[in-house]
Amino acid sequence: MARRSRIVRYISYLVLGTTAVFLAFVLHLDLRVQAEFEGRRFALPARIYARPLELHAGLRIARGDIEDELRELGYRVGGRADESGWFLSNGSELDVSVRPFMFWDGAQPARRIRISFDNGTVARLADSEGRELPLARLEPLPIGGIYPAGNEDRVLVRLAEVPKHFVDELVATEDRKFFSHHGFDLRAIGRAAASVLRAGRTQGGSTITQQLVKNFFLTPERTLTRKGTELVMAVLLEAHYSKQEILETYLNEIYLGQDRDRAVHGVGLAAQFYFGKEVKDLTLAESAMLVGLVKGPAIYDPRRHPQRALERRNLVLRETRELGFISGEQYAVARSTPLGVVQKPLVGTSPYPAFQQLVHRQLRRDYDEKDLRSEGLRIFTSLDPRVQGAAERALAKKLDDFDRTKRFGPPGLEGAVVVTDPQSGEVQAVVGGRNARYRGYNRAMDAARPVGSLLKPAVYLTALAEPSKYTLITPLDDGPFVYKSRGAPDWAPQNYDKKFHGVVPLRTALAQSYNAATARLGTDIGLDKVLGTVKKLGVERELRPFASTLLGATEMSPLEVAQMYQTLASGGFRSPLRAIREVTTQEGKPLQRYPLNVEQAFPAEPVYLITAAMQGVVREGTAQGLRNFLPPEVNAAGKTGTTDEQRDAWFAGFTGDRLAVVWVGYDDNRPARLSGAASALPIWGDLMAALGAEPLAQPKPERIEDVWIDPQTNLRGDSGCPGAVELPFVQGSAPADRAPCASAVGAAVDAVDNTVKKAKSWLERLFGR
Amino acid sequence: MLAACAATPPAPVVTSTPAPGPSEPTAPPVVRPATKESTAVASLMDSARADTAAGRLSNAAATLERALRIEPRNPRLWSELARVRFQQRDYAQAESTALRSESWAGKDNALRADNWRLIAAAREARGDSPGAQQAREAASRFEK
Repeated sequence: MARRSRIVRYISYLVLGTTAVFLAFVLHLDLRVQAEFEGRRFALPARIYARPLELHAGLRIARGDIEDELRELGYRVGGRADESGWFLSNGSELDVSVRPFMFWDGAQPARRIRISFDNGTVARLADSEGRELPLARLEPLPIGGIYPAGNEDRVLVRLAEVPKHFVDELVATEDRKFFSHHGFDLRAIGRAAASVLRAGRTQGGSTITQQLVKNFFLTPERTLTRKGTELVMAVLLEAHYSKQEILETYLNEIYLGQDRDRAVHGVGLAAQFYFGKEVKDLTLAESAMLVGLVKGPAIYDPRRHPQRALERRNLVLRETRELGFISGEQYAVARSTPLGVVQKPLVGTSPYPAFQQLVHRQLRRDYDEKDLRSEGLRIFTSLDPRVQGAAERALAKKLDDFDRTKRFGPPGLEGAVVVTDPQSGEVQAVVGGRNARYRGYNRAMDAARPVGSLLKPAVYLTALAEPSKYTLITPLDDGPFVYKSRGAPDWAPQNYDKKFHGVVPLRTALAQSYNAATARLGTDIGLDKVLGTVKKLGVERELRPFASTLLGATEMSPLEVAQMYQTLASGGFRSPLRAIREVTTQEGKPLQRYPLNVEQAFPAEPVYLITAAMQGVVREGTAQGLRNFLPPEVNAAGKTGTTDEQRDAWFAGFTGDRLAVVWVGYDDNRPARLSGAASALPIWGDLMAALGAEPLAQPKPERIEDVWIDPQTNLRGDSGCPGAVELPFVQGSAPADRAPCASAVGAAVDAVDNTVKKAKSWLERLFGR
Repeated sequence: MLAACAATPPAPVVTSTPAPGPSEPTAPPVVRPATKESTAVASLMDSARADTAAGRLSNAAATLERALRIEPRNPRLWSELARVRFQQRDYAQAESTALRSESWAGKDNALRADNWRLIAAAREARGDSPGAQQAREAASRFEK
């Protein structure tokens, strides 16, 4: 008797103990399931957009460029009147049904527009009724995102947005008893077990709930213990959450494809990724294809295995028909439609990694890394895909040419390009290397290389800021120059051509990039003053306070150089380079705007003069090669740069509507045969020619006057003097005396000219025009 | 959590603009000649003016920046943007932006007078009375 009761006691302890352990385990799973479920709802990547294309009459753009961008946006050719997201060519016109979009400044509804072209320009914009539209803004192209760990991407949808037929198809194919079971379906498990026994294959016996739970685990084990755990968790999930909640989370969680290194999760993103549509607009057939993907997004990838995808889709349709969710007619129509998958959108984690890095860096100043990866922020940038494409192509093509001919050194040259809007400082393109898709070393931002002659405009600008001492014609001595400083070796800079050129006008010393003249000028003015100028131009980096810095023996990245030249291109107004315009929440609520800020860093006059001198660099100096790329009317301004032992080649320059900096060199910094004019300049030229360049015409400040100069005597001349040039001067700084060659007739003509000018300005002031 | 990390922009909506008292810097009133912008820019300017009147200053500035991307050399756009910056109380930017307008203004003396009056008000608001006086003198030179 006692022995039996002892056995009973032991057994009951055992049972109690096991039950306790089991309950503890279940409790742990319960907490875990809830934590995972709640957590799933919130991790959304930040989405990054390029600039929206703004159409208006007079915009210079090729029709093909607009069509390209529309295609990349996932717009299809032709569509129904009540749909949006399509375009159609119509003779010399383009009809577009623009999709609705939530901009920073509010929701823009869907609309129909008709664009008329005339010779590479938009001639007219009209709405669907033919009424003139002043402006039409297209949706911005998504260009990447900042993803949670695992590079998962999704577009959250609510269950109400998912069409009923989608849910029907899902239930019919994956879990027929979904709405009635409590987490698992015994019959389904039985069938699966049977199929394992029969054919050794696992046919899913998992319910939708179990599939969701499977996603909570990081590793895809398929052991019995794991399956058991998942089963318990599925039951717990069903205990805590409604069918609707579980289904909604499932629809947002399910893995449906791969886009390079970006994992496509959820039906919202899948609808965009495969069909360029929102999930609520999916047809019966399209939803069926997506449901078919659940079993294996790679095996049934419609782009790689269209036949298999079609068969799988039709199987889904068949099962849906079997359960009576759709009629025989609906079934017949759906299964005979083609797959209808659109061209793969150009996103991935980003096709523009260099630009993306700039965006990310600017965002990190204001946002937490965690928030960037999980709050679903929408980031609107200034990237111009057309400019970016042109810059990438120009760099890759020319570097390929150089490598082939081995003109500048062995194969393996690298490069970087930065393009900005000269008036606003917005960054339009960043190319980090000849392989632009590669997400690695971003030379545009991180390769700090000696800038060489690119620093010269800062020296000359400093000089020209003192018009009583220096003008464009001030004679400079390009003779041998030796700079002695205590504790350092003598510095005796050589010119590029190893010659000295005697006395030359200031503008020529810059146009020809004479080192000796510049070194002398810079040391005369004072290194401090020049460094001050560089700082005012917007360079934040501390430059080395040595004389050799005057000739650019100091490192900067292409982006920093772009900032420096930006201030020159905008007439002396410094704007910090910006890549981001606005940020909104996932729902579109405005969070932040990065406004256009300007600051007058220099008075207008010296900047006007240095720009004129830099136009001389292109017209008659080291950048003359540009005439092979751009017509002379463009009148671009720029500066070539070549460094010690020809390791680096630079060109920085601007036209009326664009500024660009190009760098070429070897990553290992080896000596080469590069020169700014021969290596970087052609890339710049190619780029500007491809984009179409607006002529550069700086507004002339009031205190600047144009004066004819006789180059022989450096005195005032006129058209009678051979080689006479008209040059800008700050009023009062031009030579007072006339050259002998200036004729009396010329003097009289000048006098009359001046009187007429004075009378005109008197009349203007009188009548206030 | 997010608001704490993000730099707070000036509030985009103001429900009522308080009447300016004697110490409140006000932008001087403006009289302008007929504009000759493209229709795109003209419609954006109208939109910006409506936003400004309704106190939606951030929107107004954003719209003017959109217009500037179409016509960056338009001194009236820069001048209007300067005005909005003034109302946003960014007096340093109001002055700089007005100076930018100046560089494109050419012979438009009425606009130049506007710009200098705004610069004067901006300098006054920052406590730079001598600078403000100089700006007023410059404005009156253009008003002749």
